Amino acid sequence: MSNTASMTSIQTGARHEASGKKGRPLGQKSFWHALPYIAPHMLVFAVFGIIPIFFGIYLAFTRWNLVGSPKWVGLSNFKLIFDPSSYFYSIFWRDLWHTVLFVVISVPLTIIVPLLLAVILQKKGLHGVGLFQAIFYVPGLISVAAGALVWRLVFNSQFGLLNTTFRWDINWLGKQPWAWIALFVMCLWGGIGGNLIIYRSALSGVDKDLYEAASMDGAGSVRQFFAITLPAIRLPLFYTTIMTTSGAFNVWGQPQMLTGGGPAYTTQVTLMDIRNLAFPSGPSAAGMASAMALLLGIILMVISLVQIFYMNKED
Amino acid sequence: MSAATVHQTQGGTLARASLADQTKGLSTLPENKHKVWSPSLVVVYVVLIVLALVWIFPVIYTISTSFKSPQEFLENAYNFLPAKWVTDNYVSLLEASASYPVFNWLGNSLIISLSHGFLAVCVVALAGFGYSRINFKGRDTLFFVLLLISMFPGVVNMIPSYRIVATLGWINSYWSCIIPGLGNVANIFLVRNFMKGIPVEIDEAAEIDGASDFRIFRSIMLPAIKPILIVIFLFAFTGAWNDFLWPTLVFNDIKKTPVTAGLQLLGNQMMQYNQMGTLCAATCMAIIPTLLLFVFAQRYFLQSLNITSGLKG
Repeated sequence: MSNTASMTSIQTGARHEASGKKGRPLGQKSFWHALPYIAPHMLVFAVFGIIPIFFGIYLAFTRWNLVGSPKWVGLSNFKLIFDPSSYFYSIFWRDLWHTVLFVVISVPLTIIVPLLLAVILQKKGLHGVGLFQAIFYVPGLISVAAGALVWRLVFNSQFGLLNTTFRWDINWLGKQPWAWIALFVMCLWGGIGGNLIIYRSALSGVDKDLYEAASMDGAGSVRQFFAITLPAIRLPLFYTTIMTTSGAFNVWGQPQMLTGGGPAYTTQVTLMDIRNLAFPSGPSAAGMASAMALLLGIILMVISLVQIFYMNKED
Repeated sequence: MSAATVHQTQGGTLARASLADQTKGLSTLPENKHKVWSPSLVVVYVVLIVLALVWIFPVIYTISTSFKSPQEFLENAYNFLPAKWVTDNYVSLLEASASYPVFNWLGNSLIISLSHGFLAVCVVALAGFGYSRINFKGRDTLFFVLLLISMFPGVVNMIPSYRIVATLGWINSYWSCIIPGLGNVANIFLVRNFMKGIPVEIDEAAEIDGASDFRIFRSIMLPAIKPILIVIFLFAFTGAWNDFLWPTLVFNDIKKTPVTAGLQLLGNQMMQYNQMGTLCAATCMAIIPTLLLFVFAQRYFLQSLNITSGLKG
């Protein structure tokens, strides 16, 4: 059956296909040929990728308790979010600020620390690079739920590893700024592995002759890092920055498990509000939560677009 | 701190030499190549070993605590290694399984992760083939549109997805964690690029010999893309295993829930009653499957990130 189809396509399409791109099959085929292959994905993507976008945007303009049918309320949810006398105003902006604070501190950490480690691991004559790399990578494979329990043991104020070892008396998870510090330590611990591997592979692709030439010219290692290394790996650097940033804006598990948003809501982040408003044990405010999700989504999209724009300009 | 350590171990001259070396900047000069123990190398080792210890310590501490008897933990928690290694905590975990069915959770997670991983590989392999080797009209446009849509922030999708899952009757069902993630477009992007690198002449020859599309897919493409499919399986598996927020939404039956959501409940309860040893035992059990997977498939895990970071068409 496909035999005849391909014979005709040899006659019709193959010639100018051959002049074109790599990886193209013999000739033009109909959409129906491809359908059996792309259909399983299409189906799931339609149901869980496309419909939720429109449904989610719609929900932002409704009042909804997750069970009945949503009731259209226009901009009312957004009005409340932007009305200083409203409860939703007070939690949304407070916790968006916490989210931004988290992004601003954790993203540079999870970019710079693995980058420096990757540079260090490049050093000539170093043994056990694979082992070091594995040790730094493994925490990233531990689920946030389990990892947070590990860190709660370390940061526990009475019998925690830190306080008992160093004879400190720090209420890590119950007092600021310690709660933030604990959170960043845990996120750094779990967050560097992936980026480290990416930087390591990027660094291994940098032309060694450039360094030799630079050292002949008397450039120090710091100078070389900024003049050769950084420009050479800027694409992976941009890629990891975008991925790390959007990941950090979606932070939920670490503060949820480590501090529960405390002390006094100081580590409460936006996704916790969205989750708590939409899926509480009591009545749900899923419409309001959707409005907050949409606002967070817009912020995320703008930031990603700005980053991609700069990446293209650099390119 | 590291400089001080060098001071102790190697003596003052070395520490000063290392400073001089830093200002001079280069240990990678050709004539340095044969020196095994350059001062800067010592500094690098010290820094790396200290950091590696910090990174691995919490995990080892958790494992060691899980083997401490509850009394010992209360009396001297700061002993790093247990005075006496006991399995009490694992036994009490087994006994508490009526209220905290940890073994059910592990089984649930295993079923979810394996099924999700397997299905993800099937879906991605098929779609990757469809979008790279079958040249239908508007193919690249269609795929580009999919990519564009998939970049929409996922946070907006959470509540609607819950509603869809509920409509499908998947609350408290494994399907709720197995199926939605199969819509991932990034993986298809990877496989598609991978397949585009395979010479088109192979298909042509097979087609002329009368092979059907499916035959080409099964006998030529699948073996060729096996490495990247392994990578996709590993990532899908660990992703499903470690997923946290979503399972807390779609499971309210404590017996059906995967281990991450279960650990949250367990954590709050056991912290309150200071059952840290038992909690550590549960944590260890949740960590071990992914760690084992990493030990056996380390090569693929590390390769995978090289592939994904090469996300440039």
